[in-house]
Amino acid sequence: MSMDFREYIKGRKVLFDGGMGSMLIAAGMGEKEIPEQWNSLYPGRLVDIHSAYFEAGAEVVQTNSFGGSGLKLSASEAGRTLDPSEVNETAVRLVREALARFSPDAEAGSGEPDSSLDGGLRRFVAGDIGPSGEFFPPMGTLSAEKAKETFLVQAAALDRGGVDLFLIETMYDIREAVEALRAVREISGKPVIVELTFDRKPRGFFTLMGDTPEKAAEILSSEGADVIGANCTIQSDVAAELAGEFKKVTDLPILIQPNAGKPELSGGRAVYRQTPEEFAVDMERVLDAGADAVGGCCGTTPEFIRALRLKMDSKG
Amino acid sequence: MREHLKSCAQAVLDGESEIAEELARLTLEKKMDLLEVIENGFVAGIREVGKLWEEGILFLPELVMGAEAMKAAMELLQPALETEGSDREKVGHVVIGTIEGDIHDIGKTLVATMLSANGFKITDLGADVPAVRFVDEAEKNDADCIAISALLTTTMPGQKKVIEELDKRSMRSRVKVMVGGAPCDEKWAAEIGADGYAGDAVAAVSLARSLTGRG
Repeated sequence: MSMDFREYIKGRKVLFDGGMGSMLIAAGMGEKEIPEQWNSLYPGRLVDIHSAYFEAGAEVVQTNSFGGSGLKLSASEAGRTLDPSEVNETAVRLVREALARFSPDAEAGSGEPDSSLDGGLRRFVAGDIGPSGEFFPPMGTLSAEKAKETFLVQAAALDRGGVDLFLIETMYDIREAVEALRAVREISGKPVIVELTFDRKPRGFFTLMGDTPEKAAEILSSEGADVIGANCTIQSDVAAELAGEFKKVTDLPILIQPNAGKPELSGGRAVYRQTPEEFAVDMERVLDAGADAVGGCCGTTPEFIRALRLKMDSKG
Repeated sequence: MREHLKSCAQAVLDGESEIAEELARLTLEKKMDLLEVIENGFVAGIREVGKLWEEGILFLPELVMGAEAMKAAMELLQPALETEGSDREKVGHVVIGTIEGDIHDIGKTLVATMLSANGFKITDLGADVPAVRFVDEAEKNDADCIAISALLTTTMPGQKKVIEELDKRSMRSRVKVMVGGAPCDEKWAAEIGADGYAGDAVAAVSLARSLTGRG
């Protein structure tokens, strides 16, 4: 029996997955490679990472397609050799393969009930869309048309692959987020989440362009986002404060996915000192502050998601 | 004159390139003291932009527009300054780029823009730049400073390679090295023997000034 994510998130707290980049580096991704390349190079490793997140208790797992827009791919040597449609369709297939390990009868476009999860939890595949990497004026030359065009190709491929919902994330410019949202809306009626990335400044939380959660909420809800929120940039310790800011300005469900604590360098390599338990404690406060869904971003692993699952389950 | 200086600073603060250009033209027409107008007018404006940015009052678009206005004015004033044979201190020359294997160049470009707006001569090598090329260009341009951006923990070690290359060519004593990018910090700069770390474009300007004694 299928269920729309919009229904699912009503009246329950939902757990998303965590970081992908650091998992790929740990799995051996080289300097010149890009994450999306791995979808076709090492599909088995991707299925393993997605499975590890499902296994840790994530209800929503994101496709490995953050940099999968044509514009973003064309910025790197490795990316230029890839076909955007293929990258995104494959990305969905790999999460669905992971999902099939847990829900053998999984159908595209449905939240799958899972006997291994308690309390009627279901699993969803979210089609991940990240920034194009280009900037609107005055920083760059990106136009609304160009942005929408690249996101239309990506969204259509994710849709064909069979995502249950779309997750537009790490957007630093509301204008670009809106174009991605419009692109998705043009080709699909499926639920759409939009996360911008905010930094904490002396006067509050702002995007790189100086926009507040309030302005983001106003624009994104009028553009038809189903869930809004924030990811990346901030660490879990200030995420509750940001969740509270969103709660004040929107009635839409809120998703918050911060990074693990700041990485420290050890012998030239980044090491995240924050433990999964510390992250889970912070994220419980994020839920208390009004977030409807939580997950992790850079530096978080299936262990972080498992620790958070345990906290959420013990709370009931 | 005081009113004129205030207008110049304000044009930069407002990110008004056309007004800044007009004021620069007026400066030339009325044969005003160029150094005075640059230092206490336009440069004062860009410093204020930087300060407000650090305080979280202005954001990226305002910073970029301020730098653009500054550049628009300087493009007119710089040639006049040179023909005048001004004794304005020789400007510092910075060779900047993102290290090999790393294609992130937004932060690097912003630093280059701010350095340029603050009077530095810039050779921007773009992204994915091999360590050897940084040193080649520094040698060719007789640069005072190399600024290396790295946004990935996997590409940061490349910053160290640039320093090793400078050592190899016995250029280390005359070329300062500054590093930046999300995963870097002061500790990292010290570990690899760089002269300093800057966390953002405004900090990079102060650092370049203190390292080169110019700009």
